[in-house]
Amino acid sequence: MTGIPFSVTTRTTAAGPVVTVGGELDVATAPRLRAAAGTLALGSGQLLVVDLAGVTFCDSSGISALIAARNLAEAAGARVALAAVPARLARTFALIGLADFFPTYASAEDAVKD
Amino acid sequence: MCEAGDQAGPGHRESAGPAFSALLEDSAEDLYEHAPCGYLSTLLDGTIAKINATLLGWLGRERDEVVGRLRFADLLTVGGRIYHETHFAPLLRMQGELGGVAFELKAADGTRLPVLVTSTVKTGTDGQAQLIRTTIFDARDRRAYEQELLRAREEAERERDRVQRLARTLQQTLLPPALPEVPGLEVAAYYHPASADEVGGDFYDLFPLTGGRWGFFLGDVSGKGAAAAVVTSLARYTLRAAAVSDPDPVTVLDRLNTVLHHEYRGADPRYCTVVHGHIERRDDGAAVTLATGGHPPPLLIRADGSPRFLDAPGGQLVGAFAHARFTTVDVLLEPGDTLLLYTDGLTEARAHGRVRYSEEQLQAHLTGLAPATASAVVGAVTDLLAGFGDGVEDDTALLALGIPLPGGDRT
Repeated sequence: MTGIPFSVTTRTTAAGPVVTVGGELDVATAPRLRAAAGTLALGSGQLLVVDLAGVTFCDSSGISALIAARNLAEAAGARVALAAVPARLARTFALIGLADFFPTYASAEDAVKD
Repeated sequence: MCEAGDQAGPGHRESAGPAFSALLEDSAEDLYEHAPCGYLSTLLDGTIAKINATLLGWLGRERDEVVGRLRFADLLTVGGRIYHETHFAPLLRMQGELGGVAFELKAADGTRLPVLVTSTVKTGTDGQAQLIRTTIFDARDRRAYEQELLRAREEAERERDRVQRLARTLQQTLLPPALPEVPGLEVAAYYHPASADEVGGDFYDLFPLTGGRWGFFLGDVSGKGAAAAVVTSLARYTLRAAAVSDPDPVTVLDRLNTVLHHEYRGADPRYCTVVHGHIERRDDGAAVTLATGGHPPPLLIRADGSPRFLDAPGGQLVGAFAHARFTTVDVLLEPGDTLLLYTDGLTEARAHGRVRYSEEQLQAHLTGLAPATASAVVGAVTDLLAGFGDGVEDDTALLALGIPLPGGDRT
């Protein structure tokens, strides 16, 4: 509805991979985030940052994909963090108690610095 | 390949020669008679002058009973004969040729053979039409293909009906057939499926526990369809079983979390959001204890005031993580009070750019309704949903528990 096409891009920093998501993260697009997370070569002690700044919508499938990414990171001995969560999403995430499981940062840069 | 041929020289050609010339010696007459299609030559009036063995075989007829005695149209079904005379023959005369027309041949034993007919008019050196040459291809395969297509389409339509029936049936098993009568309480529920084809992930129930206490829950499983229905079913039965063995809603949600997380950890996590609690009569009201797991807060509509949300802080998604935190909240319902549990399609409604209904809108909509019965509250929210029309993309479930005012009649 917002007209922003869905996108997932991955870049690598010293701390670990940063996955940047844009557009609507829903039942149609969540598999692409899952697929992108599945191809990451996560090493023990690394940090996977999911940058949500460009996400205009996130439904339960999107949340499932984030949890799946966290499970993957956990299995590899890596940590996961969310960056730049839009206010609308932050409210939802607070309601369902995601903050305990996903350290959240204002930006991907902040997450990587930490 | 070229190189190999060059090296082999003339000898190579000679060695291939005999088999090849045997093919060439195959007489034109034999080719005509036993070609993999039917050949037919008729006079201009349609009388059959020549016919090949292949076609005679299809028709199950002898050459003598056909040549000079029957016309091409005589080989066709009645409908085909009419079509031939009104369309095929005139068009052929005009154009000199006509191809790929579907007919049915009638064999001697009455069986019908679907064929494709192509005809050309042979003209003499003077330009006068002399005879008609016709090639006939067996179209049983094509007819079978068309019938298969038709059958597949009908099958798909039946399948769609079956899927819708199955979805309805499944959904019915996930919801109680009717809410039980609870002494001293007025209860109402509503369920709106977003799609006829897919089972939604919403569920609710109200059921007796020991000592005059009743358990209730309302929740929403992530995803839709058969996979979600499995989780819904598991969630529903786990909640009921756990609630019977331990009345503490936090313990019950812990159990559900363990069961779901154990079943669905890894790359395909499944989880639900849920409100679960119990209610029992106390004096002329009722005491409610409930816990939420990642679910929008229940709405309490007091007899004398505007609706407010019951804060049950910290309740986390159920099933997503190994250890989730749940807390209980206690509330006393007085006569005229109603507690509303609802699903709003999990996070969709709240997170989407398009405006659907927010919790605040829900609150505003119900303001002024108090004192309201459970059915009045459910009715008001149902009307609100109806106003959104096809904007309601997700399933919606409502469960309201109210204490009737003494005297019975209420707004």
